[in-house]
Amino acid sequence: MVTFVTVALLLAVVFIVVTVSVRNQVRQSVASNLESTQRLFAAVETRRQRELRAQAETLADNATLKAALDTYQTETRADRATVRADLLATIDQVLGNVAARVDSDAIVLVDTRQATLAAAGRMADRWPRSRPVALVASKAPDSFDGVARMGDAVFRVVTVPLLLDDATIGTLYVATSLNQEYAQELDHLAGHRIAIVGDGLVLATTLTPRASRQFESAVAVEHQVDGTVALDGESYAFRRLVAVGDTVFYALGSIDESSQAAMRDAMRNLAFVGVFGIGLAAIGSFWLARLLSEPIGALSDSLAAMAASRNVSARLPVTGSSREVDTLTETFNALMASVGEAQAQTQSAYTGAIRALASALDARDPYTAGHSDRVSVLSVAICRQLNLPPADVEVVRLGALLHDIGKIGIPDDVLRKPGALTAAEFDIIKQHPVIGARMLRSVAFLAPHIPIVELHHERPDGQGYPRGLRGDEIPLDARIVHVADAYDAMTSARAYRSARPPAEALRELWRCAGTHFHADIVAALANSLPGVISDTTHAELEPV
Amino acid sequence: MQRKIDHSMRRGLLYASALGLSVAVLGAGQLPETGRVIGRVRLTSRVPGKPLPSAAYPRRTVGDHDAPTLPEIRNVVVYIKDAMYRGALPATRAELRQEHETFIPHTVAITRGSSVDFPNGDPFFHNVFSLSRAANFNLGRYERGQSRAREFTKAGTIKVYCDIHSHMSATILVFDHPYFTIPGPDGSFELPAIPAGQYTIVGWHERVGERLERVRVEAGKAASIELTVPVPVDGGAP
Repeated sequence: MVTFVTVALLLAVVFIVVTVSVRNQVRQSVASNLESTQRLFAAVETRRQRELRAQAETLADNATLKAALDTYQTETRADRATVRADLLATIDQVLGNVAARVDSDAIVLVDTRQATLAAAGRMADRWPRSRPVALVASKAPDSFDGVARMGDAVFRVVTVPLLLDDATIGTLYVATSLNQEYAQELDHLAGHRIAIVGDGLVLATTLTPRASRQFESAVAVEHQVDGTVALDGESYAFRRLVAVGDTVFYALGSIDESSQAAMRDAMRNLAFVGVFGIGLAAIGSFWLARLLSEPIGALSDSLAAMAASRNVSARLPVTGSSREVDTLTETFNALMASVGEAQAQTQSAYTGAIRALASALDARDPYTAGHSDRVSVLSVAICRQLNLPPADVEVVRLGALLHDIGKIGIPDDVLRKPGALTAAEFDIIKQHPVIGARMLRSVAFLAPHIPIVELHHERPDGQGYPRGLRGDEIPLDARIVHVADAYDAMTSARAYRSARPPAEALRELWRCAGTHFHADIVAALANSLPGVISDTTHAELEPV
Repeated sequence: MQRKIDHSMRRGLLYASALGLSVAVLGAGQLPETGRVIGRVRLTSRVPGKPLPSAAYPRRTVGDHDAPTLPEIRNVVVYIKDAMYRGALPATRAELRQEHETFIPHTVAITRGSSVDFPNGDPFFHNVFSLSRAANFNLGRYERGQSRAREFTKAGTIKVYCDIHSHMSATILVFDHPYFTIPGPDGSFELPAIPAGQYTIVGWHERVGERLERVRVEAGKAASIELTVPVPVDGGAP
């Protein structure tokens, strides 16, 4: 979950970064595109103007045209009233021929007084005779073009002087109208929006009317060379292509339009990266789970098992699957070791206390002095004979030590009565397993020993006390301690009888096997006795 | 060569006889009542504005096109405007040579009835034609060494061109009277034998038109005037 959120967050950040950087890159690329367009356009335009002029020059190098013009002007100068219609017709005819051969909107003949004399071409009607022409010439050196305004029409003009003996007798204008059509042609050639601005007004443009008005107020007045501008909610980079007189040609590239494709590409890539990233995250999560969760799960299972079994001695295996988990395991093991140590200390303290309790009990009755210790030793010997696990043996060892602890609650006069007990007294004596069990219940860690204390007087034939359990209903621990207890009682002296030799005690046990005692336990005792007897220091166990 | 010398000698003779004739005419009837006008023409240059470059590409050079040019002052004609002259006009014979793709001289002034020869001195064809009201003609194309002539029978300004070389032009001024002259290289001129009276003296240049100056001519005296002709200049000094 966290992994996926991280990936999503990362993707969002990348998206923003990509969006911003794509826009910047597009802005730069549009600007540089415009710049190269401008260079190309300037070069092509200069060349075109030159070619146009050379073409017009060749066509204007016409003796008839010059003769007609010069004669007309000479005679008009001499006599204003004289109008030579034949000469004007000649001029018109020559101009018509030139117009048919040159790619332009109008071919105009301007006299030395800068007034139109004749015009030919599609837009000749815009150039009426005797109209003064104001030409705003291009500022660039070696240029021969300019812009002329005739009423509401604006023309880009290439000039060709008509020379007669090195004197200019007139000028031929090759005029191109700066109209919508021209702007569209430029747009098509340049691959950008075009705005032609003259005198602070947009003359023609391929922008929308609204954008055109905004461009006019934003840029046109200030004659900026390049920059970016927001028009009609769209971001544009613009650049001055060429300036002719007071007229400027701008190319505009829409950044938004161009960035759409780039953004689409970037988004496609980002989507791919996103899918890839999420896939990777999934694989990573799976791997992490394997690397961390499984060992941690195993660890937790082990802990649960340990908690259930109260086993602090067990150690968790170091899996080696992950350094962190291994460190955790090791730390835990160290902790458990110290806990185990502390528990061992506590247990030994308890054991000491139990031993002291048992000793105190033993001390109340001199006849039973050392009885608990001996029963414990015998019981352990029986356990070993039965090949019980060490943990069970330990339960039996302590349980045997405590088996008669309940006698603490038996009054001295009953417990230490030298003679035979009355039935009532015996009933009191028979209370001691229950009293013992009750005492042990108040100490949690002694719980495993309770069955021994409570049931060590039960008999396979059901004649035992306190519950009268039968055969297999009696726990193994209790059976073992019962046999060991009986054996030690028989081989110990009592106030009312002397100690019996071990062999006789065994015989007695065998005799009662199946009724009083479980036969297999008796057998185990019999097998273990030689070693046990040699181990015990009790004088009464010495064979007589 | 022989032909050329012969030609110029004949021209000199013609001039001499024409001059003699006019003096004779004036001397016969009005000699005591004539005065003269002397003066000087000053050419000032007028630059109409920044000249535009004259050619998109360098001009094709044809021969030594711009070799001999006469001083601009020789393209000025000084004359009495609308002078009345009774009597036979002396017919002369002038010459406009076509050399180095130029008409030499550029401007010629003649009396009505005079003729002009147009010899071709270039090693290629030339043509002479005019669209002027006073004389509308075309002498056709002809090669080096050949010459065509034309008599001008109507007063006026006649512009002459070559239809092969569109930059060539010349001007022929045809007068109904003999009161005209072309100033000398220093601009000085003299109009002799003018009947006493009030006149308008004209300083004419083809690209300026007429510059007028009033003058009073008294018998036996020389009236002195100065004429200023502002010649438009493009691309440099005149």
